Amino acid sequence: MIENFKINLKEIDKINLINQDDKNYRIKNLEFFNQKGLPTKKDEDWKFSDLREIFSKNFKKIDVNNSKPEENKFRLIKDFDHNYILLINGRFIRSDFKFEDKNKIKITSYKEENFSREQSNNSLICLNNALSNEGYNLLIEKDYKFEKVLVIYNLFSEDLSHKILNNKNKITVNKNSELHIIEYTVNRSKDKFFNNTYETIILGENAKFKNISIQAGRSEGYFHKFLNGSIKSDSKYSSFIFSSGLKFNKQDIKIDLEGKNSYCEIKSALFLNNEDHQEIKTLVNHLVPNCKSFQKIKSVLDSNAKGVYQGKIFVKDIAQKTDAYQLSKALLISENSEFDSKPELEIYADDVKCSHGSTSGNVDENSIHYLMTRGLTKKEATQLLINGFLKEIINDIKSDTIKKFVENKLEFQVYGY
Amino acid sequence: MLEIINLKASINKRDILNGLNLKINPGEVHAIMGPNGSGKSTLANILSGKNGYKITGDLKYKGESLKDIPVEQRAQKGIFLAFQYPLEIPGVNTNNFLKTSLNTIRKARGEKEIDTLAFLKLVKEKANELGIDEKILSRQLNVGFSGGEKKKNEILQMKILDPNLIILDETDSGLDIDALKTIADGVNSSRSKDKSFLVITHYQRLLDYIKPDFVHVLSSGKIIKSGSSELAVELEKKGYKKIN
Ligand SMILES: Nc1ncnc2c1ncn2[C@@H]1O[C@H](COP(=O)(O)OP(=O)(O)O)[C@@H](O)[C@H]1O
Ligand SMILES: [Mg+2]
Repeated sequence: MIENFKINLKEIDKINLINQDDKNYRIKNLEFFNQKGLPTKKDEDWKFSDLREIFSKNFKKIDVNNSKPEENKFRLIKDFDHNYILLINGRFIRSDFKFEDKNKIKITSYKEENFSREQSNNSLICLNNALSNEGYNLLIEKDYKFEKVLVIYNLFSEDLSHKILNNKNKITVNKNSELHIIEYTVNRSKDKFFNNTYETIILGENAKFKNISIQAGRSEGYFHKFLNGSIKSDSKYSSFIFSSGLKFNKQDIKIDLEGKNSYCEIKSALFLNNEDHQEIKTLVNHLVPNCKSFQKIKSVLDSNAKGVYQGKIFVKDIAQKTDAYQLSKALLISENSEFDSKPELEIYADDVKCSHGSTSGNVDENSIHYLMTRGLTKKEATQLLINGFLKEIINDIKSDTIKKFVENKLEFQVYGY
Repeated sequence: MLEIINLKASINKRDILNGLNLKINPGEVHAIMGPNGSGKSTLANILSGKNGYKITGDLKYKGESLKDIPVEQRAQKGIFLAFQYPLEIPGVNTNNFLKTSLNTIRKARGEKEIDTLAFLKLVKEKANELGIDEKILSRQLNVGFSGGEKKKNEILQMKILDPNLIILDETDSGLDIDALKTIADGVNSSRSKDKSFLVITHYQRLLDYIKPDFVHVLSSGKIIKSGSSELAVELEKKGYKKIN
């Protein structure tokens, strides 16, 4: 049983440590993790996703992954021109920026010194702090706009059975620059594994960053990602989450709106099936005046799937003229599916516009009937309605080729072919 | 084409139809008139195969009992219901939906799927006949359509799917006179010896434009009177209460 899931401190010696400080920091974090264990529903932030329970049901054992991946053959996306970064099991393998001015781009593999050493109460972040030794660091110099999208191929190899992987990434987009990435997860592991990522995103003044995260197909992976974003004045952060077909996925997103007129949007269209469990947790901190945030999460749940949205908007006292919007809509296809939503507002300024809402319901029987009177089977009618429900989010993707690509991937999840 | 034999139906323990009999031969147009709440839409829904009703009696379509035939197969066999309140289906493109629908029905008939070009040509032609602005067909199905556009879209679907038994549930309600005429023209031009119509309406107005062969009066879930198209005129003059 994993209930007393602990990791031997010796694992730290297998990492290329840079100095004694590094070692001490990692030991402290691992001790904290070993003492606290995996999060349970008693933790407010994990109220609807009891990871310890999920793990004890699904993992008989779990080991730290120490093997270095071989360079793997993989298929590039043919649908649109793109630059790419290849990661295997979180490790940075290589990059190709053939459409860009390479002088404006710095890419290296994980470096411990790129991350500040903070103590966290989140045991998964502590675990990550203790054991991370892979990842990438991407920096875009100022005044540079990417010509083409950057695809991050996030490959997981076949030999990950019951392994845990920890990695850290950092993306910096400097002043007046623009970057659009697609995080594309391709999984080859036939057996379960756990990927625990910590990611930092920093946007300079007037920078624009867009991210689409999506899977190539169904996966045995269990994923947790903590995203720490800080965005400066007039910058724009935009994230689309289309992840479907993962056993477990929690995206814990924290965005600090640190500069005036900055904007953050998080949009998601999820189709969850089987025993999938997915949570999107957001914390948007309005720390200065005149910022705007927008969140729209649409989830479809079939079979025994469970979806969770915990969205918090925090508005600091000085953050006047804040405009914050948050909406979650869930469509439950099966009686055994579940969706939990916890929208939260914490507002200390008085001149703000904040709205939030959450709805969840079944597919409309009358709509199904209407479509069936036009010859469609119940299944076809349901699939059409599901697609229609999720389409609203997909339609916000500006590039037609990328939109089509995302649409195909989602239809693959919905229709199963 | 259609035979309804002693049809009784209830929903949520409420009796709505109380022994309805009706026979429609190929090529005939029958009108059913009745006050609000008399069970007109219930009859239409039951013919389409909607579930949720407790039913006794029988429905025969082309000699075959419809009892165990599910909704989509009825449609595939050529039964078409134009809804009183067409549903709005967000996110579903009208043209794509029409094409999917047509192809499932063609497949069921053993015909080849229609390709996109031929389909677009067909839609354009039919939409023009009905005075439908083609732009609405690239929008989401019925979403934000005006009342008239929704009703016209139902008739467009009828024209494209080319069914044999057509049930029009208050297709006239909420239409201005021009839209009413266009829709009636659309229906009239579809009349043929292998198509039958059941035109459900509250007012006689529609029957000035679609001349029925027979008119039936539905009241409290039963046909209380049948006659020729003159009956509709009489009804309009006297009101439903005086009939009987
Ligand atoms: N789902 C239902 N549950 C209970 N009563 C219903 C339901 N549907 C219809 N009815 C009732 O059945 C009667 C007939 O309805 P309907 O067939 O819609 O009438 P019409 O189309 O002639 O106006 C009405 O009194 C209506 O309130
Ligand atoms: Mg009615």
